[in-house]
Amino acid sequence: MGVVGPNGFLDQPHDLTLYEYDGGVDKHKPDIVVFPRSTEEVAAIVKIANQHNLPFVGRGAGTGLSGGVIPRAGGVMISFAKMNRILEIDLMNERCVVQPGVVNLDVTLAVQGEKYFYAPDPSSQRACTIGGNVAENAGGPHTLAYGVTTNHVMALELVLPDGSIIETGGKEPDLPGYDLVGLFTGSEGTMALVTKITLRLMRAPEMVKTLLAIYDSTEDCGATVAEITARAITPVAVEMLDGPMLRMVEEATHAGYPMDAAAVLLIELEGLKEAVEEQVEQIREVCQSCRAREFRVAKSAEERDLLWKGRKNAFGAVGRMSPFYYVQDGVVPRTQIAGTLKKIGEVADKYGLSISNIFHAGDGNMHPIILFNARIPGQLEAAQHAGEDILEHCISVGGSITGEHGVGMEKMELMSKQFPPETLDMIAKFKNLFDPQCRLNPGKLLPTGRGCMEIRQRPLTEKTAV
Amino acid sequence: MSELCPATAAELAQALADAASRNQKIRLGGNFSKPGTTAGDVSISTRALNRVLTFEPKDLTISVEAGLPYAELTQLLNRHQMMIPLDPPWSAQATIGGVVAANHSGPRRRLYGSARDLVIGMTFATLDGQVIQSGGMVVKNVAGLDMAKLMIGSYGTLAAMATINFKLIPKPAGSRTFCLTAPTLEAAMQKRDEILRGVLQPVALDLLNPEAAELVGLPAQWSLLLQAAGNAALLDRYSRELSAGQMIGEEVWPRVQEFTPMFLAAHPQGRVARFSTTLTDVSEPYRVWRGPMIARAATGVLYGYSERPLSLPAGLKMVIEYGEALMPWAQTGSDYSAMKRVKQMLDPKGLLNPGRLYARL
Repeated sequence: MGVVGPNGFLDQPHDLTLYEYDGGVDKHKPDIVVFPRSTEEVAAIVKIANQHNLPFVGRGAGTGLSGGVIPRAGGVMISFAKMNRILEIDLMNERCVVQPGVVNLDVTLAVQGEKYFYAPDPSSQRACTIGGNVAENAGGPHTLAYGVTTNHVMALELVLPDGSIIETGGKEPDLPGYDLVGLFTGSEGTMALVTKITLRLMRAPEMVKTLLAIYDSTEDCGATVAEITARAITPVAVEMLDGPMLRMVEEATHAGYPMDAAAVLLIELEGLKEAVEEQVEQIREVCQSCRAREFRVAKSAEERDLLWKGRKNAFGAVGRMSPFYYVQDGVVPRTQIAGTLKKIGEVADKYGLSISNIFHAGDGNMHPIILFNARIPGQLEAAQHAGEDILEHCISVGGSITGEHGVGMEKMELMSKQFPPETLDMIAKFKNLFDPQCRLNPGKLLPTGRGCMEIRQRPLTEKTAV
Repeated sequence: MSELCPATAAELAQALADAASRNQKIRLGGNFSKPGTTAGDVSISTRALNRVLTFEPKDLTISVEAGLPYAELTQLLNRHQMMIPLDPPWSAQATIGGVVAANHSGPRRRLYGSARDLVIGMTFATLDGQVIQSGGMVVKNVAGLDMAKLMIGSYGTLAAMATINFKLIPKPAGSRTFCLTAPTLEAAMQKRDEILRGVLQPVALDLLNPEAAELVGLPAQWSLLLQAAGNAALLDRYSRELSAGQMIGEEVWPRVQEFTPMFLAAHPQGRVARFSTTLTDVSEPYRVWRGPMIARAATGVLYGYSERPLSLPAGLKMVIEYGEALMPWAQTGSDYSAMKRVKQMLDPKGLLNPGRLYARL
């Protein structure tokens, strides 16, 4: 690989094993991993891959949860680990220009001294990259008020699957023409590789208040969320953790969560002092009317950080208890949260699996965590079936199979339950428009048989699937 | 020109497919309230697609057909203390589909965003007679491609929107408007910078040059119009912190929002130019423009008004939004070929609203 030099790639089996998985449950090894340092190197790699008829896929930190980065047809993996510079911080214009390998949290860390922040904050924000965030249109707790990644991306530099480089969007809003930034953001790395991103920064709020409402029943907890929405109170984050989840989190983090509660809500309010103080009282009233056992307001920044640390490290806490777990990402209308929690309980009973819940309740984005043991034959499959049952329920109440993790290779088959065939064909047409040879991240997003050129991909074998 | 008014998404798709099969150029719109709509062999209006399909006040979501009048939608939401704060021009005549197709927005976009931030789902009909779905009825959703983004601001040149789903914003308890005047552009920009770097979070922050200020009924001075929204304690705080300004009536905003139709009614041969700038460069279009000009000063979109054709400034990112396109979308970038491919895929014969979208695509 003359483009990236002798230290710019990995091709030994023991190295490639490190690149065969992401945060989901699917696996497949690439044939080579390359580490370009510039857009031009990315374009050169893409052209070489095309000449050799090899599939290729971009990779950020590999923290994705839907298999979006798994090179299921092998080929070239393009890691953006060395394209990790913040290119420009332009506070006067509320913009920041970054390479795709920049870690999400590092953007906020770079500007918070000047009282700005980058709003999308996935739980993996200490590791996940902006390039990956753009590919998946990542969310996070605070997207309830501020919107997801697509609402904060102003411009993209892209390497198209034919190796050409285009820039679209700008620091300025409302540029003429079609909103390609909006089309490519969330296309799950199937239509272009992102090599540069212009982000929107926001002014840090004057006041932040973090509240913890503790419940003896998950129904009351779910009802509170519906009531907050119905009363048009606008917190910036409303996170729910159920009892089993609380106990795992508390044992791992010692954040001060109650060990004996059935569920808690972690609620954050931000803004000007006068607005926040009023909302604290409004939410206290809602929580009490919905039979919260206790209502706490974090007294210090330390207390607040600890509560959030517990929330954001939740998956790590689960990992301590169960070596294997499977996270789902369905969305339901906010009035359907209580019913969906009940349904998740039924699904757990049906498959004899333990499922705990931690999720972005404020926007109805559920994250049931299905615990299983892959060493017991049949348990992975049971976990996957349980996940599908839950997602089908989400679709049936007017929701979606994914709020922020993406379809990837995990939920491909469920796409045909959420969308009519004409829509799936249209998605395939867009894919084909930019990647007619189907070399970029093949076998994702669309059900088998509806994507392009399925026949050219090596099928997953039992050996590679687990 | 015959006009078709399909009443369902399927009928809309059929009307498009019929026209396409006959190679007819299609004039597509809602109420055709905005000037500059093109001629065609057949006219297709969404005005009979005017129902509210689902309204879930408790979920803060709504699904409506594209031909629903924007004013009707606003009144319905008002009754529930909710809003879709796009504040478009021609608000009394426009359909919601027309507002979204033109990507019209108004003063409050600083806080609430534009259509791309408020639309959560959409169906649209294509020239091959299909009805395609993007997104859905939940506020967070990444399943499938976000094709709705392409439809927003495409002026009906790709497909015809049939239904549009929005997330709703609760109406704030109250609002107050302040006018800060300045002797020069530089002094006005300095005042804007102080506000942007402070902790106040204005809902709207518009800059009007003296010509524009006069036309909305204010003294002919450089004027920063700021709207604050929230509870009484919060509004009192704005009054204290903005004591250099003058509190004025809320009725100034409809005049700002409707400035374009008002100007074009008075000057049928007039031109409306739209500039996109960074925040620091908001002052630049003012330096070269003669005539009224209004800036979304905390966003970076400016509208310039001229009574007659004019030679347009080079080096600024702008389009002629209304009036004869003297310089149709002068600067195209490296993404232009990708846009053309999208157009080619959905409308290979160039039948849909030919000449719209700044007479380029």
